Amino acid sequence: MDVLPSEEEQMLKNLAREFLEGECPPSLARAMELDEIGYPPELWKRMAELGWTGLALPEQYGGQGMPLTYLAVILEEAGRAIAPVPLHSTMMTALTIAEHAIDTQREDILPRVCSGDLILTWAFTESDPRFIPEAVNMQATEDGEHYVLTGTKMFVDNLEASEICLLACRTAPRSADSQGISLLLVDTRSPGISGTPLTTLAKDRQSRVTFDGVRVPKANLVGQLNQGWPIVQWMLERGTALLCAQMVGATRKDADMAIEYAKNRVAFGRPIGSFQSIQHLCADMTLWVDGAQMLTYEALWKIDQGMPASVEVSQAKAFCNDKCEAVVRSSQSIHGGIGFMMEFDLHLWFRRVTSWTMRLGTSFEHRANVAKALLDTPGEVRLGLPLITVP
Amino acid sequence: MDFGLTTEQEALRDEVAQFIKENVTPEVMAELESSLEGGRGPHYDAMMQKVADRGWVGISWPIEYGGQGGNRIDQYIVEEEFARVGIGVGGAGSGAPAILMAGTEEQKKEFLPGLLNGKIIFALGFTEPQAGADLAGLQCRAVRDGDEFVINGQKMYTSAAHYATHIYLMCRTDPDAPRHRGITIFLVPMDTPGITVRPLWTIQSDPPAPVGTTYGMPRTNEVFFEDVRIPVSTMLGEENQGWYVGAMGLNLDRVGASRYLISVRRDEDIINWIKTNKTNGHSLADDPAVRDKLAELWIEAQVCRLMTLRSMSIVERDGNFTYEGAAEKVWAPEHGVRTTETISQILGPYAQLLNGSEEAIEDGLFAHNLMGSFQSGINHGSVQVMRDQMARRGLGLPRG
Ligand SMILES: Cc1cc2nc3c(=O)[nH]c(=O)nc-3n(C[C@H](O)[C@H](O)[C@H](O)COP(=O)(O)OP(=O)(O)OC[C@H]3O[C@@H](n4cnc5c(N)ncnc54)[C@H](O)[C@@H]3O)c2cc1C
Ligand SMILES: Cc1cc2nc3c(=O)[nH]c(=O)nc-3n(C[C@H](O)[C@H](O)[C@H](O)COP(=O)(O)OP(=O)(O)OC[C@H]3O[C@@H](n4cnc5c(N)ncnc54)[C@H](O)[C@@H]3O)c2cc1C
Repeated sequence: MDVLPSEEEQMLKNLAREFLEGECPPSLARAMELDEIGYPPELWKRMAELGWTGLALPEQYGGQGMPLTYLAVILEEAGRAIAPVPLHSTMMTALTIAEHAIDTQREDILPRVCSGDLILTWAFTESDPRFIPEAVNMQATEDGEHYVLTGTKMFVDNLEASEICLLACRTAPRSADSQGISLLLVDTRSPGISGTPLTTLAKDRQSRVTFDGVRVPKANLVGQLNQGWPIVQWMLERGTALLCAQMVGATRKDADMAIEYAKNRVAFGRPIGSFQSIQHLCADMTLWVDGAQMLTYEALWKIDQGMPASVEVSQAKAFCNDKCEAVVRSSQSIHGGIGFMMEFDLHLWFRRVTSWTMRLGTSFEHRANVAKALLDTPGEVRLGLPLITVP
Repeated sequence: MDFGLTTEQEALRDEVAQFIKENVTPEVMAELESSLEGGRGPHYDAMMQKVADRGWVGISWPIEYGGQGGNRIDQYIVEEEFARVGIGVGGAGSGAPAILMAGTEEQKKEFLPGLLNGKIIFALGFTEPQAGADLAGLQCRAVRDGDEFVINGQKMYTSAAHYATHIYLMCRTDPDAPRHRGITIFLVPMDTPGITVRPLWTIQSDPPAPVGTTYGMPRTNEVFFEDVRIPVSTMLGEENQGWYVGAMGLNLDRVGASRYLISVRRDEDIINWIKTNKTNGHSLADDPAVRDKLAELWIEAQVCRLMTLRSMSIVERDGNFTYEGAAEKVWAPEHGVRTTETISQILGPYAQLLNGSEEAIEDGLFAHNLMGSFQSGINHGSVQVMRDQMARRGLGLPRG
């Protein structure tokens, strides 16, 4: 037991921070808000050269086979720098392919992810934003050696940049032995796909994607037919934990900026950071982001150990949603009027963290998951011991 | 990063849990509940002797002073199991870390083994009527007279003073020096002539709180010193350096399983109660608002646990706290208050019933907790003062 970062983890973190501070100024995030594809390919390529995209992918496909906690360190630093790169959607999808796809699919995809030549995304949500099997209604009908997709997916990340989308669709009605969901690797350039960018709080790249008779080869099925739901859960668990890491990084930076500002901004003849109400708010902000960080890394560590971690991931995301928001909102307050101005950078963090609180599960959804494990299971609960997860 | 226990540590935890099942008998619990003397009695003492025989006391302490020379996490495991049944072991305890760091060889030999096996009990003599949160304003005076000091003054809220063997006493030795530089710590036997103890009864005293109550402390004390003469050898650390010696010790004292468990046992208690009880056929576990709130509190409780593990990890690496000890001391007490208050709104009128009422839930545990929970946010460094520390020492914000 040693919950602090190891020497190696700390080195990776320092390295990532140094690189991103040099190569990824806030002006880049600003510029990419207006960009067609939403990310700078040169920066992406360099991040891949540093080994980041392959960090947690298997060695046999060009990765380094490191634990998720290492990848999370990178996402945390990318969050800190609000790096406008499609890292999260690519990693969440690539990890799922590494675990659940067949060899030919892996060989086709993973080496190109490691080298930075392939960007990935995923699509689950339709009109109902909850992460439950009933929310998937997009039908995949069989036609010879193809499935034909018709329907609409919402909030798809980085569509313009991604060549492949891992998509959840319905191949059967829900039944006793399956949720009837299957996963397909879809070429985003296929005829019949059209994306409409959504204007979001974060001004990031999310799209509404319509599928009109899109033909996908049967060979692109990931996992067994109709048995996609557990894979979706596997993917969402990791994606959520990694998003938490990204939120923690961005939120920490946001708090740092408030503390720095409070040291320098003078009102009533002294730095506002010398007023106790500001000091105590800064102390609270530190408690909140520390809590978010520790919950996040415990969840990731459990995943790495192969332990059940659904409850821990939900704990982390529910807390991140509430408390990271509280931090960035407090930071706005400490900055007074200037934080509300477009020309000042603070809002770049505020808008992103706020937006991320609404992705991959709301506080209510995640607390409902925790409550199930606390209340719908036999036996007594005890803090520090694993809870039984209720499906 | 490693959030897990080793196989040996898990075995240790199981072993301690098993020991508690077998040895913390109803007789021991009855002594804990009825006694004003820190829960001590013949059954309790016999049980604690067995704990010591197993080498579970002072695990992380140096062997030459009665410890086991082991690691802090092992000690934490033992502390946690015992703290769950309301028993303090493990040898952190008041004053001990400061003696370990600043004591003379004689003092270490004199006090540490006794503190570990419970033969020596310290009362903490810090607070005074005019010096609480602002401890450096203390006035209790110690004047040098040859090989002795002569003490005159008063201490306030001195818990355990009525059964302690010694008092860990902060006095002003140089009234002309800057406030923090004129303070000295003395380790004074309570039977020294000139010391009088007067009880102060707390709101937890009547009716007596059931075992397991947070801050179920019925009594504390005022202690008066009148021409109390003590040898210079009772001084801990150097003359006029007492502030720094005390601060060091306090920081380590704040860390440990018992502190966080004080604040989180209620989360477990209410959830486990709801899981096994129905009223008029209705289970609170079916109420969506209750479910959401309990999950929220549970997540906060995890943060209490993780903050404690962080402090342990820092101690185990021989690192220094910048703000982490203070952070724990803000988060855990405030979480505890949120839980007790939420419980009162979950259980409604039943949660007002105190120990002794026929319909009281769990002997009034939740009601007594409600009376005591805020207390852990006041003593040992109030949450306000702890936030000041975090902001100034941890974040480098300027003084006013
Ligand atoms: C959209 C918008 C419209 C506005 N319109 C107008 C307008 O029409 N006319 C006009 O004159 N002004 C206007 N303002 C200015 C507004 O009134 C100021 O932003 C406000 O007075 C705060 O001043 P400041 O931004 O300089 O923050 P500061 O005064 O620098 O304050 C920064 C932070 O320090 C805190 N602080 C300051 N002193 C203390 C203290 N003693 N103790 C504790 N905390 C303290 C503040 O509460 C704040 O959180 C507008 C501002 C905005 C954002
Ligand atoms: C049951 C119990 C047991 C105790 N046991 C012991 C013991 O064994 N030994 C011992 O020495 N003491 C003990 N104490 C005393 C305890 O440590 C003090 O109560 C505590 O230090 C606060 O002091 P005070 O009560 O005088 O409150 P005050 O110091 O008067 O504080 C009152 C309020 O003002 C706030 N405040 C003070 N200064 C500031 C500031 N700068 N900024 C913002 N807010 C501020 C405080 O946080 C608090 O909320 C015990 C107290 C209790 C209730």
